[in-house]
Amino acid sequence: MIGRIMRSRGMKKFTRNRLAVVASFVIGIYMLIALAVAFGAISLEECRERVLPGRAYGFLQEPNQEERFNELNWYISQHLESTLGSPSGFASDPDSASRRERAALAERGIPEDLSDSQVQEIWAALSASFAELDDAWLDREDLRYEIADINLMISESEDADEQADLADELEDLAAEGETYDREVNALVEQVEAGLLELMPIPTGFAGLKYGFRTFLGSDESGRSVAMRAFYSIKIAFQVGLVAALMSVSIGTILGGLAGFFGSWVDHAVMWLVSVLSSVPYLVLLAVLVYVVRGNALFSEWFDNPQERPGLALVPVYAAFGLTFWIGTCRVVRGEVMKIKELEYVQAATAIGFGRIRILLKHVIPNTTHIMFINFSLIFIGAIKSEVILSFLGLGVQGQPSWGVMISLGREDVQNFFFWTVLSATALMFGLVLAFNIVSDALQDAFDPKHV
Amino acid sequence: MWAFIVRRILYNIPVYLSIILLLMAGLRYARDPVRSQLSKNPTQAERDAVKQKMGLDQPFVVQYVKFLGKTLTLDFSEESWSQKGRSVGDVIKKAIPPSLSITVPTLMASASISIVIALISAYFRGRTVDRTLVVLAVLGMSISFLVYIIFGQFFGAFWPNQVTQTTPFAITGYEPWMPLLTEGASLRNWVEFCMLPVIIGVVVAIGYDTRFYRAVMVEETTKDYIVTAMAKGASKPKIIFVHMLKNAMIPIITRIMATLPFLITGSILLEMYFKIPGMGFELITAINADDFPVIQAFVAVFAGLFILSIILTDVLYALVDPRVRLS
Repeated sequence: MIGRIMRSRGMKKFTRNRLAVVASFVIGIYMLIALAVAFGAISLEECRERVLPGRAYGFLQEPNQEERFNELNWYISQHLESTLGSPSGFASDPDSASRRERAALAERGIPEDLSDSQVQEIWAALSASFAELDDAWLDREDLRYEIADINLMISESEDADEQADLADELEDLAAEGETYDREVNALVEQVEAGLLELMPIPTGFAGLKYGFRTFLGSDESGRSVAMRAFYSIKIAFQVGLVAALMSVSIGTILGGLAGFFGSWVDHAVMWLVSVLSSVPYLVLLAVLVYVVRGNALFSEWFDNPQERPGLALVPVYAAFGLTFWIGTCRVVRGEVMKIKELEYVQAATAIGFGRIRILLKHVIPNTTHIMFINFSLIFIGAIKSEVILSFLGLGVQGQPSWGVMISLGREDVQNFFFWTVLSATALMFGLVLAFNIVSDALQDAFDPKHV
Repeated sequence: MWAFIVRRILYNIPVYLSIILLLMAGLRYARDPVRSQLSKNPTQAERDAVKQKMGLDQPFVVQYVKFLGKTLTLDFSEESWSQKGRSVGDVIKKAIPPSLSITVPTLMASASISIVIALISAYFRGRTVDRTLVVLAVLGMSISFLVYIIFGQFFGAFWPNQVTQTTPFAITGYEPWMPLLTEGASLRNWVEFCMLPVIIGVVVAIGYDTRFYRAVMVEETTKDYIVTAMAKGASKPKIIFVHMLKNAMIPIITRIMATLPFLITGSILLEMYFKIPGMGFELITAINADDFPVIQAFVAVFAGLFILSIILTDVLYALVDPRVRLS
């Protein structure tokens, strides 16, 4: 059947559409990534572990000095302080090895060729210079407040002499401020160099992996955005494929039976179709997820999504599978009703073939193009609905997905940090756009009269 | 005509009865309805007591007939489980005005704007303007609704607030604005709380609608009467805006009517995000809080509204296109 459709005239028309071929190629790349993730290229633990300070920028965007200071503050006074302990006792600590391990951020750790005493030395120096930086920073903040105060006083005072005095004072303070600026600049460089000495950015293969982890920055709790966004490709394919396969097969079977046999089969199927399509689809999805998740028989499956993220997807599959088949069923029924009046079906009946055989061999294969079109339409629908369901708290749980990333990222956006939402959106945009182009081209090639 | 209307109504009665049947059965048997009302490991006696209090111990048929009767007489006097002291009917009544103040403007604005864009696109068919519009529509459709909302709120409310210290639109929330319904309400409240969600909703809807309307117009251009008009020497604007628009009205009306019920729920996301206490917001809150009576009543009402609008669409359709009445 696949071979026949590959050789058909519609397929030739499809491959002549260059944009559609490029789009199919893009889908292929996404599929390869999804397969790689499924075979363990990115594990769930790697999506959950901390690699960077919270809300660190990705490539292209340079942090300003204040953001650099905040990052250093996180590295030294939060992360290293809690994992390495106070600088004085590190070399004499019996479990220094486990402390080193805990200090490591993914591939970026304290190198093994540094002995415990060397680590202690660098760590002490780093800690001291950061304390110095912290003081200088606070002093400079104070000075800035003072300058702002004097500026305010100048604007409020009406006495010319007083204004001149204040202006002189302002000049002195500005000169002092410049020395502070130089000091802070030097100290920031020094602390950054010290941090690089203690925890150098890895090179070689580990460096490549670390670079991949950090190139899109980190989310609010310091997890790698790149890892999460690429892991989500697998989730998108999982949700999209399951939803599309379930819906297309249910829709084709029921639509084929209804269209071919007519009478009470048709009535029963159309009754189900009109019942399900009389509830708005988002309400239907939400209620179905709610019902399946609270199911008395296996509700404990869904109680702990952190440990069983795969099972937590079952309600979503069920809701998609039970909702999206309606459209396919309607179209297939219409097409089958048309096909069964054609001469070759009559010929098959005249030869004496059974009705089931005619349906399976002569009618259903001629609806393949509808299956393909609907497959890609449902795939898009499932990916987009996943985002909405995840935002409503009814979708993916316990693992990253584009929906989870976008809905968690809304607080980042409100804090002027865009990397989480934009990364998820960009990857999703590519896949959905490719599918949109492919389904348009399929429709043009196989079903040109369709509006 | 009347025979057609009666037929449509008669056809939809069993459909509605089945929806209520499936809904009630699903909520009662596919999941444990009283789980959220009980302690961790309840005894059978406790379970029975709660069930009896909620009226869930009666035979299913009795419950079905009772709920159906209440729904048809719009008597939702049951108490909500999560919002103590409020009846379900009160929740529904309070939720309708906020929902309508978002959906009605969104529907009107998006329909008129996208028809205009589609006409422009059809007028310049195959040329740069048309191609750009089509590409823009496809690109716009590939971005999630949620992303539009996030950035709409950011650039509409957060960013102006940070940069210029003014608040054209509220970040979240809702205040009544219809002057006749509440004291001291003014249209300004609508601009502050509803305008931004409406703009976002319109922007998203335009992408989908334009594509559909353009396809309708393009199909219309291949019809014989257009060729005749061209042969007679009618000008292009006249053909498109007079001949074609009139004939394209049938699918356009159907489409508008068909999106009507979707807008009731299509705003679920907008309502949840901007914390506007409308129908969608109340339904999702009820689902997350396991509020059994509210879920049941809301789905019943949603389905009822949906079916009414489907019947209305059919009737309108039959009104503009007499051929439909025969089938």
